[in-house]
Order: sequence, then structure tokens, then C-alpha cells
Amino acid sequence: MREAFSNALVRLALADPKVLLLTGDHGYALFDEFRKRCPDQYINAGIAEQNMVGMAAGLARVGFRPFVYGLAAFVPIRTVEQIKLDIAHDDLPVVLLGDGAGFVYSHLGTSHQSTEDIACTRAIPGLEVLSPADRFEMTACMDYAYEANGPVYLRMGKSDRGDVHAGPLAVQVGNLLAVRKGKPGGLAFIATGSMVNTAKQLAEMVFLEASVWSVPAIKPIDSVTVARVCATSTVVVTMEEHNTVGGLGSLIAEIAADHAPVRILRIGVPDRFSAFCGTYDYLLREHGLDAAAVQSKVLALVNALPAR
Amino acid sequence: MTALATPQAQTGAEQRFAPARMRRTVLEMAYAGSTVHIACAFSIIELVTVLYRNHLRYPGNDPRAEGRDYLVLSKGHGVMAQYACMHELGWLDDSHIQGYFKDGSELKGLSDSRVAGLEVTSGSLGHGFSVGVGIAMGLKRKGTDQKVYAIVGDGELNEGPIWEGALVAAHHRMDNLMLIVDKNGFQAMGTTDDVLALGDLSAKFASFGFETLEVDGHDEAAVDTAIRQLWTTGTGKPKALIARTVKGKGVPFMESDNRWHYTRLNPQTFAEAIDALGLPGASK
Repeated sequence: MREAFSNALVRLALADPKVLLLTGDHGYALFDEFRKRCPDQYINAGIAEQNMVGMAAGLARVGFRPFVYGLAAFVPIRTVEQIKLDIAHDDLPVVLLGDGAGFVYSHLGTSHQSTEDIACTRAIPGLEVLSPADRFEMTACMDYAYEANGPVYLRMGKSDRGDVHAGPLAVQVGNLLAVRKGKPGGLAFIATGSMVNTAKQLAEMVFLEASVWSVPAIKPIDSVTVARVCATSTVVVTMEEHNTVGGLGSLIAEIAADHAPVRILRIGVPDRFSAFCGTYDYLLREHGLDAAAVQSKVLALVNALPAR
Repeated sequence: MTALATPQAQTGAEQRFAPARMRRTVLEMAYAGSTVHIACAFSIIELVTVLYRNHLRYPGNDPRAEGRDYLVLSKGHGVMAQYACMHELGWLDDSHIQGYFKDGSELKGLSDSRVAGLEVTSGSLGHGFSVGVGIAMGLKRKGTDQKVYAIVGDGELNEGPIWEGALVAAHHRMDNLMLIVDKNGFQAMGTTDDVLALGDLSAKFASFGFETLEVDGHDEAAVDTAIRQLWTTGTGKPKALIARTVKGKGVPFMESDNRWHYTRLNPQTFAEAIDALGLPGASK
């Protein structure tokens, strides 16, 4: 997934000399290829994220296409106001790359973990929000972000969870992507980023009739398909490595409330910071995001439903 | 529009930008819109006068011309001074002045880049300068001779991103960028010395690698000379012009009286302020 990211960035920069990569002194090995192939388009802006994001707005104002890289804890979270005011307000073509979203930096604690970035960014008018689940979605999201020619936040979460798609995407990344077809009238998983893989595993191992959908484009979201899934399912389970407040689960619930009310189970970080440190898998367990915990929550809900 | 007495040496451009008349425009806007920040605009009137009259290039008098110089008003609350210049240039008409703050009007109380002629959306302080640094970096990469001026309040220098941007500007040798500090000695709640002392600004910016000059920010000739001197010295260095100014300059009862950061005009203070400008024709 990181290789897909690097490849896409290099390809876009080679094709368009106006593409610039700005980094806040992060991305040690990630940008080796970029620095080798496009050295003049690489700008280390120093450990000064606020200025970096404002500066990207200035570069975009005079015709450049900045891609601004930081850890999600800093880009977007530390720089939300610069993103709102300097970039989104004027619809400038800046792509914000927030790496390590969720619990990637599982041992480092709250400063480097980011479980509020979707909520913050999707409330900013005009800012598109992407959250790829595997290398195929990453490639498509990078192309989509470039072609959008406007403000985009691309959330880069846990990158080594494996593929969820069989190959390059056959449909536009702005759509809800079917990962697994299920039986209509049953259970539907709608997940984003690292959690798509968990949803897929659960459907393959436990909930054999469930459908699984991936959401690489959180904003704008394919609300037509979301409404259709809600209308044709008994229970919709949303899954995200993000706070249950304001993220994908909230978004799906908003659409369901407007168009197709359905019982929704929102799986995510239960509005709390990590209490302890440990491996990534440990933190998923701490927050109830591991496959076993999700399975028991879904079963509890399904078993409590009145018989049809 | 009332014509000013015109000494023979004045050019057409100088007739166009007259500080007293622009202060009257600010007062008319502030009175029409019942708004604040009058003193914040008055301290930069001569600075923007010299910039628009002598330095800023707008090919075809087009505020969005691709080859223009950029004036970034980082202290967005001084925007009425810039509106007054845009009025002089014909980019705004009298209806903009008299209709200021009417429901559904375009001109806001802080700089908003959706208005042609304003380059940044500021007012939240410490934003415009970073955007200006990015514009300057972009123009340098393009190899043009376009210049970027960023007017920053001295109170605004409390903001951290200003200093981040200053490091970056010097590191990347942005000698097409001029930071102009409106050093009026006040911020919203008091003097800069009382709230958060800034120390020796010239020494600070010099230590950051800026070519630096101090000037009386209300002496048009001195400001003009300083700007020219900064552009011709310190190759490879960004420029900092520390302009000593008076908050509320031009209307004696407003000068260095910080209440005029937030005080609105009433019919009496409006008439007195207009009279104080000493324009022929007096108040309307």
C-alpha cells in the first residue's frame, strides 16, 4: 500500500511538474524514490506544520499542485484551521496526506494517534475526504485526488492489512465498492480503511450471508448506494478505526435517517483515548475493534432482534 | 469625489491615492456599517498608499492579473485601508462604501480572498504571512520578477506561524518577499509591551536572516525610499520593513487611544473625525 502510494506520487509528479511534495520533516524512507526521481519537487518544510499548510495554499494560488504530507495527528489535526481558512475556503487544489491514522503508532501514545481526523475534516465545506483500504484503492485515490483539482484529505491508516480487492478497481473510487456480495435482506458491513479487511474476514468466516462494502470516498459519499444498502438490509454494521463520533458510522446513520432508517451498529473507537500502549493488535483489542470483539457485538445485536 | 489641492509636482497617480481622502473613505465605511477596527486601518494608510501608488503592479489594472504583485494583508482587520485603495483604483464604487455591511453584501469586516483585490482570507492572525511565503516560493520557482508584500500587525507577531514562515523564507532565500510590520504598539487589549513584549524587532528579523529597515510608517517619501532600498540590497534575503506607526493616525482623538480598536462611530464622532481630516468640502 505504501509502495502504491509512493509509485502514484512519483508518477503524478513526473507527469506534471507543478506537483510538489511538502513534508513536515516526516516520511524518512517513504520518499526515497520521490527524492531520487523528482528532487526539485521535494520540499522539506521543516517541523512547522502550520506554516507548511499555509504555504501550500500560497503555492496553489500561483498554479502549483501541492501534496502536503504529515502524520494524521498533525496534518490535518494540528492544522485544521489552516486547512479550513487557507485552503478549503478558496477551493484550492491541495492534497493533504495524513499518514499513520488510527492506531498505527500504537506504542507512542495519544500524540501520534489520530481517531478524530475524519470527523474534523468532513465538517469542512468543500474538502473531500478519502480513506483507502488497500493498494488498489490507494492508487485510485491518488489519481482521484489529483484529478479532483480541489482540496482533498487522504487518510493513510494501517497499510499492511492485505488486499481487499482482487485487482485494480473496475469502478470509480467515488462509489461505494462491493467487496463481497451478500444475501439481500440480511446483514451489511460498511467499512473504511483498515477495517474493511476485518469486515471481509468476518463475512467469510462467520456471517456468511453478509455483504461487505468499502468506502474509500467518505466525502462526497455515494449516498445513493448507501441508501440502497440501508433499505435492503436488516442490520448495517459500520466499521472504522476512528471515533464513533463524527466518522463513517455517523455519516451512514445520517444518510439512513434521511432516506432509509435501519438498525445501525457503529463499530469504532468508543470516544476515548488509548489507556495503554502495545502492539497495533493490542490497541485494536483495547478499543474493541478486533475481529472477535466485533463478532460478539454483531451477534448480540442480531440475536436481540425480533424474529422476522 | 472631492478634488484635492494639487501641487504641481503631483502625478495623476498621486492624485489618485491621497491618505486624507482614503481615511475619509474608511470613516464613511465604518459609519455606514457601524463597524470597528477604524484605528487598525488608519495606522497602515500611508503604507498601502505608497505600495499601491508606487510599487504594486497590476497589468491592465486587473486585480486578478496573472503577472501582478501580491499584497497580502495578514492583519486582516485593517482591511478598510485596502478597500479605500481599491476604491481609489475604481475596483470598488461608492455603493460598496455606502453599502458596507448591508445584508448580503460582499465586503466583510476582515480580508476575504474571494473579493478580487484581496489575496488572502485573514483576520485569524498568523495565516496570511504563511500563504504569502508560499506565493513567494511559487513565484521564485516560476522565475518571474513578481513581488510579494505581507503586512503584519505587531500584535500579530505573537502568533507562532509567523516565525515558522520567517525561518522558511530565509532558508529558501526568498528575496522577492517583503514583510511589513505595522508597529503601532497596540493590540486588542493593550500595548504590545504590556501584553507580550516583542523586544527589538529589527534585531529579531535580522537574526532570522532578513534584510531589515525601520521607517516612520506615516512618512510616504521615507517609506518609498526604504522599500526601494530593501529591494536593492541583501541579495538572497527576504526583507523586513519595520514601520513605526500610530494607531488611529490622522484623527487626533483616535490616535493611540486603543478604544478605537473596538469603538463604533456615532453621528457626532463621525462628523468630528471627518472634520479632523481637514479635507476641503468638509463632512457630508
